Amino acid sequence: MQTAISSSSSLSALTRRLNEGCEANRAVHYLGYSPFGPALRIERFRMGNGLSILLVEEHAAPTVAYHTWFRVGSRNESPGKTGIAHLFEHLMFNETEALAAGEFDRQLEELGAESNASTWLDWTHYDIAVPSSAFERVAELEAERMDHLVLRTPQVESEKEVVMNERRYRVEDDVEGALSELLWSTAFEKHPYHWPTIGWMVDIEGFNVEDCQKFYRTYYAPNNATLVIIGDVEPERVLTKLQLAYGAYPAVPILDQAIPPEPEQLAEKRLEVTKLTPTWKLNIGYHSPALEHPDHLPFSVLSEVLFGGRSSRLVKALVRDREIASDVRASLSPLRDPGLFEIFVSARESVEAEELLLVVDQELDRVRVDPITEDELTRAKARIELGLLQGLTNNEGKASTIGFYEVVLGNPAAGFERLAALSEIRVEQLSDVARRYLKQSSRTVISVRPQSESGGPDDDDVDDSAATNAEAGGPSA
Amino acid sequence: MSGGAPLILIERDAALPLIHGGICTRSGAGDDPVGLEGLTRLCGRLMRRTAGGHGADEVDARIDRMGASLGLDSGHGSTALSGSVLERSFGDFMGLLEEILTAPGLHEQELERLKRETLAELIEILDSDQQLAQRWFLRSLFAGHSYGRTVIGTQDSLAAIQVADVRRCYERHFTRENLLFSFAGAVDLDQAARAVESIWAALPPGGGRASDPPPEPVAAGGRRLIFVDKPERTQTQILIGGLGAHPNDQDYFPLLVANTVFGGTFTARLTHEVRAKRGWSYGAYSSLGYDRRRQAFSMWTFPKAEDAAPCIALELEMLSEWWERGVTEQELGWSKRYLAQSQAFSCDTAAKRVGMKLDEILSDLPAGHHDEFVARVSAVTLEETNRAIQNRISLDHLTVVVVGTHDLIGDGVREAIPKLGSDRIVPFDTE
Repeated sequence: MQTAISSSSSLSALTRRLNEGCEANRAVHYLGYSPFGPALRIERFRMGNGLSILLVEEHAAPTVAYHTWFRVGSRNESPGKTGIAHLFEHLMFNETEALAAGEFDRQLEELGAESNASTWLDWTHYDIAVPSSAFERVAELEAERMDHLVLRTPQVESEKEVVMNERRYRVEDDVEGALSELLWSTAFEKHPYHWPTIGWMVDIEGFNVEDCQKFYRTYYAPNNATLVIIGDVEPERVLTKLQLAYGAYPAVPILDQAIPPEPEQLAEKRLEVTKLTPTWKLNIGYHSPALEHPDHLPFSVLSEVLFGGRSSRLVKALVRDREIASDVRASLSPLRDPGLFEIFVSARESVEAEELLLVVDQELDRVRVDPITEDELTRAKARIELGLLQGLTNNEGKASTIGFYEVVLGNPAAGFERLAALSEIRVEQLSDVARRYLKQSSRTVISVRPQSESGGPDDDDVDDSAATNAEAGGPSA
Repeated sequence: MSGGAPLILIERDAALPLIHGGICTRSGAGDDPVGLEGLTRLCGRLMRRTAGGHGADEVDARIDRMGASLGLDSGHGSTALSGSVLERSFGDFMGLLEEILTAPGLHEQELERLKRETLAELIEILDSDQQLAQRWFLRSLFAGHSYGRTVIGTQDSLAAIQVADVRRCYERHFTRENLLFSFAGAVDLDQAARAVESIWAALPPGGGRASDPPPEPVAAGGRRLIFVDKPERTQTQILIGGLGAHPNDQDYFPLLVANTVFGGTFTARLTHEVRAKRGWSYGAYSSLGYDRRRQAFSMWTFPKAEDAAPCIALELEMLSEWWERGVTEQELGWSKRYLAQSQAFSCDTAAKRVGMKLDEILSDLPAGHHDEFVARVSAVTLEETNRAIQNRISLDHLTVVVVGTHDLIGDGVREAIPKLGSDRIVPFDTE
């Protein structure tokens, strides 16, 4: 791999030259760089209209990753209109003023591009991987749909059907998907993390063209977007093209939306549902810190100690030693606002959720009291390091990592910075995090009873009779 | 391999302090004795867990301490023990691989535990409609052929497997000439070669590849419907298909181009008609697989229950039209450009390039198959393409698998399949 070619002074000179005689909206300003690992650097630019540009020269392969991130996700929706950020992601592959329906994808495929998109709680992400020879055309296509999307009833109706089918696939007919949705909607009562990114079915059914147009004009603007471009391209080529493609778009006022904070959960919530599944399932959510919080990194390490791989405490206890679970996983949400530390356990045959919960509680009690060993800490850190590096093996992975940390933390190099900070993490911090966050009073517990064992209640029956302060998930009024 | 030296596929790329690699056998679960299905997969997993005679807990902790992953991928024609490791731990990783390959404990107690875990996996599969569809599609399409046999095993076959079977399996597959070593990333070439030599010296000679390719699968059975009945499904999983083509076959590249037009991309005919125009299914694709022999050509959709019958009818109509009328010159040109241009992403990392070489050996591909991919695609003509569809795709012999609720849609699905020869309803929890 070659290292970055351009220096800061040459980039400043380049932008001065490119800006000569151009209107303020189109001017690009060089804002400096961040190291990205030992060999690469992320150069940061901003266009006069507010468009952020993060550029990494990487000439290892004749390809470019062209990612567009919008700072809008399901957190920006409102009750009754849930799922519009995700529906909109689908609509972005449709008709534009210059391109008939289907033409956007057809042209990308003809260029040999691979494209996809994803929406989550805090952001929407469009990614295109393309041979570097086609960079200019991709910039034109992406710029076209940022400002010239055409929204008509047939496309909106057809895409609603697709999204409803996606929801059936991911939630209605998927036990884990349904369980996770119920966990979040129960754990969060005020904050928009209450509703799922895909939206409630009834809301998806209700969207019309006006809803979509309003959403587009509110959130799809250059000053609400970041382009992450990584690959076999030079700064002058990139910036020249981006000035042409995006420079005419004006900045628009972005609503500074007040997101209601989630009140502290003071009592455990429990729900039991019945579903067609062969074994009991258990999902537990503990409220957890936002990604930017200093506790997030030690919490990540703690998660690895407890649930990361076959040698972790919980996997060993549940799968190997007691043989009462077939699958044990956990994830710590990497979000702008406080989220959930989510634990999933699938039981072996004839084992009930209460038995799983008992062992989980024993192990979590133990970690609050008994110190984690240095060896456990070493293993957890090594797993996190491996995980980061495995995600950076190609331009797509690098662009996704950079863009994610940029939209959530405003720091595109945070991945490597967190890696560097890992060496400072001590076992005492992990115990401290365990004591402060893994509290029974701030958790939500959802269990799934296999339908065959239930004596015949209908699917999705919710029994919250045992719950304290419980609120069944579902569409909000 | 010739001359008694190990075959190592290796490419150095030190951009990241990370190495991908492992070993691969050139034989797999296709050789499992009848009644002992799942043996090769169990054997590989047990070797990993009892490396050097140690216990599984110790091995797992050691892998995590290195900053490594090491998993087993068991197929009909090969078994791979591979993963990634931080550069600084590569020596330890190779040491562990040596212990796995040359001195596995194969302890009975761990085997029994592994069998219980595998049984639990079999139960978990019942939660996945997609996996159920795949299982019944392969089982029906390749009935009587090794490609239709389970790799993971069944309740009965797992119960029948004993340590002595595992030991025989180990001795059969893990011989010198039956192994391939592959590494990509920040690997020290000399260090890798020394470590492989050490493993090689400790392994018994095997006299060549441990198994011949299976017989050529044969299209037969007419149009068959297998309805996997699962209660309360709001959606269906549908797989429709038959046999495809192998890269050794002159029809392969023309058929690959034709499939790209039919259902190989997001704007292909199938996706356009099913998803874009009708909104019936989140995904609608067709694919062409291969192993050492030709594998399946299949169409995959998952519409809501009410749309299942019309979706199947539409897919079959489109398949007939594709077969009878072929593709157009314009579609051909677009498809060839897409395949040629997007090939850049099949080889944009050292690990992928090494994987391609591995694929050529394991799947008995013509030498240079991947290197010549763009040239071969570019040379395909319209006449070859349309002839390949008729040569290789059968409209008479089609397997249709539907996972859904039979009471709701069974009759409609049956009526949607013209010339249906046989149909069968299987409860979803049938093993």
